[in-house]
Amino acid sequence: MTQTAMRTLWCAYAVVGPVGEDVRSAVGAFELVGDADVAVVTGRVPASEFGDDALALHLNDRTWVERVAMEHQAVVQQLVPVATVVPLRFGSLHRTRDAVEEFLHVNRDGYLAALERLRGRVELGVKVWLAPPPPVSPAEEAATGREYLERRRAAKQEAAERRKSIDGRLRSIHERLLAAAEDAVLNRPQPRELTGDPREMAINAAYLVAAGDDAVAVQVDLLRTEHPDLVFEVTGPWAPYNFAEEKDA
Amino acid sequence: MTAVESPALAEQVTLLDLVDRVLNTGVVLTGDLTLAVADVDLVYVGLRLLLASMSTLESSAERAA
Repeated sequence: MTQTAMRTLWCAYAVVGPVGEDVRSAVGAFELVGDADVAVVTGRVPASEFGDDALALHLNDRTWVERVAMEHQAVVQQLVPVATVVPLRFGSLHRTRDAVEEFLHVNRDGYLAALERLRGRVELGVKVWLAPPPPVSPAEEAATGREYLERRRAAKQEAAERRKSIDGRLRSIHERLLAAAEDAVLNRPQPRELTGDPREMAINAAYLVAAGDDAVAVQVDLLRTEHPDLVFEVTGPWAPYNFAEEKDA
Repeated sequence: MTAVESPALAEQVTLLDLVDRVLNTGVVLTGDLTLAVADVDLVYVGLRLLLASMSTLESSAERAA
């Protein structure tokens, strides 16, 4: 155990290329393993935290996961302005520098292809929130049981119609944004328990765009005006996390 | 309530976005110690439950206050 505590592991964060002077200076204290065409951005992490047994425990520690996720994102994000970045999913840990090199060697062609596919691309996150539903008319207003049931049925029908019309609008919103982007991924909307927001998230999407291209942002501004009852939120530009893995043909 | 106890919504959402991206997307690589993809998914389920139970605790604490 004491020996484990002193050891370090190599954590791989992203693949970049080509590797110029600007990339070298952007990685700072992190290390590039590779060559001028493609390199893995790595950093040393303590085995006491990231080793086999410790990792499983830490991954259920919310604070730890948040800190590690922020660190991972910080390493990836600082490269976005200077290079094409293919983010790696958290958890690529290697015992030695040689292992990272071997790992790059084995996957080299795939990474070069990914770098080519994502050259100069970033992703924008777009979330669309629904306003909270209107309050249900209070039951005490109904004079009779039958009236109450009728009102309940009418309210239910109204909610279903509202949902149907919103679904149509959401589809057309996504189509408009997709047309302004190169590609899109629709992720599952984050549940209320996690967002802590009383509103319902209806769209949680990522759009792939050329860096500096504001076509999606322009569309979002237009959509805000067209759908005043919906709330649009744009995040990014992020490294193209959602597009790092090539889609199945 | 201080800013630390109750971060702005935007910050919370960003953190959630970040965890979503870092743990759920990106190229899956295999190293000699690499977490299996399935492991991350399972862990993430655990994390979601953890986050969910924390937010439930927070809201019941707010109601009680």
